[in-house]
Amino acid sequence: MARKSVSSYINIDSPIDRLHPMTKIVAVLSFGIIGFAAPMALAPYVVLLGLIVISYLAKLSNKFIHYVIPFGIPLLVMLLIIHGLFSAKNVTTLYDFGFAKLGLEGTLYAVKQVGSVLVFLGAFFLLTATTHPGKLVTAFVDSGMNPKLGYLLLATFQIFPQMQMRLSTIREAQVARGLEVEGNLLKRASAFLPLIGPLVMSSLMSVQERGMTLETRGFGSSNTKITSYIEVQDTAGQKTARKWLVIATIVVVIGSIVYRFI
Amino acid sequence: MDTKKIVIDVKDFSFSYLMSDGEMQKKAVENINFQVCKGEFFCIIGANESGKSTLCNALVGLIPHFFQGDMDGEITVLGEDTRKSTVADLTSKIGLVFQDPFNQLTYTTTSVAEELAFGLGNIGVPREEMYRRVNDVAKTMRIDHLLQKNPLELSGGQVQRVALGSVFVMNPQIIVLDECTAQLDPLGSKEIFDVVKVLNERGITVVMADNDMERVAEYSDHVLVLHNNKQVTWGETREVFTNLDFSSLNLNPPVYVSISKKYINQGLWKKEVAIKEKEIINISREILER
Amino acid sequence: MKIQFTDLHFSYPSGDEALKGISLDFSGTEPVALIGQNGSGKTTFAKHFNGILRPTSGTLLIDGEDIHSKTTAEWSARIGYVFQNPQDQLFLETVKKELEFGPKKIKMAQERIDENVRYAAQLCQMDDKLSVHPFDLSPTQRKFCTIASIIAMDPEVILLDEPTGGQDYDGNRLLEDIIKDLHKKGKLIITISHDMDFVIRNFERVIVLCDGKVIIDADTRTAFSKVEELASTFIEPPPVTRIGQALGFDETVIDIQQFFTCFDKRKKGTI
Repeated sequence: MARKSVSSYINIDSPIDRLHPMTKIVAVLSFGIIGFAAPMALAPYVVLLGLIVISYLAKLSNKFIHYVIPFGIPLLVMLLIIHGLFSAKNVTTLYDFGFAKLGLEGTLYAVKQVGSVLVFLGAFFLLTATTHPGKLVTAFVDSGMNPKLGYLLLATFQIFPQMQMRLSTIREAQVARGLEVEGNLLKRASAFLPLIGPLVMSSLMSVQERGMTLETRGFGSSNTKITSYIEVQDTAGQKTARKWLVIATIVVVIGSIVYRFI
Repeated sequence: MDTKKIVIDVKDFSFSYLMSDGEMQKKAVENINFQVCKGEFFCIIGANESGKSTLCNALVGLIPHFFQGDMDGEITVLGEDTRKSTVADLTSKIGLVFQDPFNQLTYTTTSVAEELAFGLGNIGVPREEMYRRVNDVAKTMRIDHLLQKNPLELSGGQVQRVALGSVFVMNPQIIVLDECTAQLDPLGSKEIFDVVKVLNERGITVVMADNDMERVAEYSDHVLVLHNNKQVTWGETREVFTNLDFSSLNLNPPVYVSISKKYINQGLWKKEVAIKEKEIINISREILER
Repeated sequence: MKIQFTDLHFSYPSGDEALKGISLDFSGTEPVALIGQNGSGKTTFAKHFNGILRPTSGTLLIDGEDIHSKTTAEWSARIGYVFQNPQDQLFLETVKKELEFGPKKIKMAQERIDENVRYAAQLCQMDDKLSVHPFDLSPTQRKFCTIASIIAMDPEVILLDEPTGGQDYDGNRLLEDIIKDLHKKGKLIITISHDMDFVIRNFERVIVLCDGKVIIDADTRTAFSKVEELASTFIEPPPVTRIGQALGFDETVIDIQQFFTCFDKRKKGTI
């Protein structure tokens, strides 16, 4: 049977894949904040360049670029029109179109904003693509998260792909009862209930059995110490790296505040 | 029988489910009495809705702890009253596998190995021991080649063996299987019976509700027969099958029993009925060669 | 109705080839059983009849008309398909509405809808449950509800995917009655089943699929006499057939009655 891949995780062994999930989370946050806080318009692009290098190390540079560019270009064009042409901050004119003037201040602002968004998006993509969801949650639980919350988090990772699979079967079953799912908007809209209805009803029906499963797997056990099959390895080097990332972020944030006040 | 250790003792057990509207349903099972001894391969047979699942749920403590309703009588599992124990604590002694394989996944794991380890994690088994037990169980269940696969990519029969493995890995002394072959193809179903047989030979007590009469005859040593939510009889499989009027209970008699009963009626055979394929073949040969 | 498959191939988007060249003809109304192990391609094949899945290559003609000429929803008026899992299709608040859903979608006249729904409900023993919420039916009743919902569309061909799963003695008897009645009304019934006893009792033609190919297409008795082909795909003939084979009966025995006919013959022969 043809089944889809079950999460956004891409299973390729790489130095990035092997990093402790916490290191990656800290890195995503630091990169994002640094790109956002640094006052220079090109700062996010320096970080982005760094992300491209990381994506290369993760053997995902192709996917990374194909993920970031289609987001970046339309966003840049849109913001350039809004800010470059019409921002109130515009003082210096870069180019005169006749009907409007492209201002330097607005352009820089647009370039900076797009860069910051791309850094966040790109870093988050690399995090989810290189981090096994089980490892991520294990790392959370290891650092003190309630295991029940961890379960919920993992279940959401798994539930959407599973629903997609169900939905395609339901679609086949309803089409075989004469339901048209293609064609004009009205036809498609009227197909909504027959497609979603069985999904909801059957989810309700299976809730009980799934509850029984968890119960009989000792999920409600009074035991407090829960162990995990997945091992997440942390190293002294990574611990230091995380410390420095946090320090760098704080420095950049403070620096940018100071810069703005001067 | 007296010399054997009783591991399950059901006394005057009755149960009605509480409906969502607050009403009590009619009795799902009524006045059930039987005992299972250590090491038995015990089957529960009966038409659909005759109370098999209710009984299975009660043996592992889901009744009364998970399903609400009116429970009468007493069920003792390995000396413990199920009402006074919790399901999670009973799980280490008595495991349950049920019909729909895909409802027995935890939906939190991306590999069979993690799925098998889920229950062990919940009771705090250290990682090294976890690895060892998961690998052992995978071999027994003949799923060791699937350990790194995503459970959602497996066939129903394979998932059912993962479910059985997830239960067996907890080292229970008893395993309850509630019609766990009903949705499987013949090969998948045979593989389940075969691995259950292996577990049974290792000393695990098996309680299995199933409607495949030939398989029940072939594998079990004791049966309990339910009809209309009541108990018809229980005892050694051969004895019960010799005297049972299958069709009045909406059951198909195993073909081995039907053929040997006909031999007996025609005066061709004077000993006990056959309940296994090999037996009926041997009996038939013997008659033909006379 | 004449259904012709010629060198049908089907591959899933993932690239797995599930059907590897199937050529089969269906005409007349003799009930057909499709058997084979999990992954043999039988469900994939069955989903081609009304175009739920479309061939990657090869042709499928229905009364000379190419399958691609219509949508599945359009074909469904002539060829019905009952899915294995009732949970994949039930969503309305009463059984009656479920039964009326298909007929309405194919724009059947209201009088015919009433008539067909009444017939389907009666045949599937749903007539006293028309106002019940499908949610409140037992799992086996839910199955009969989905079977009735396709019968109510009055198609000429009905495919049943694994209707015997989870059924007990009574359920199997009811299924047999349904198949007999539809056969009498001139419908072609094609059923996927794992229950070999059930196959033997109700079907005249048996098609065995293995690894995307047809390995047996024969009348039931002949099909079950091909012990080696069956074993290669891990299908066991029913117990009574196996016993007959072990005793070396020259006929393929498919029920107890026939077993004793052969048995008596052998016994007299030896006396």
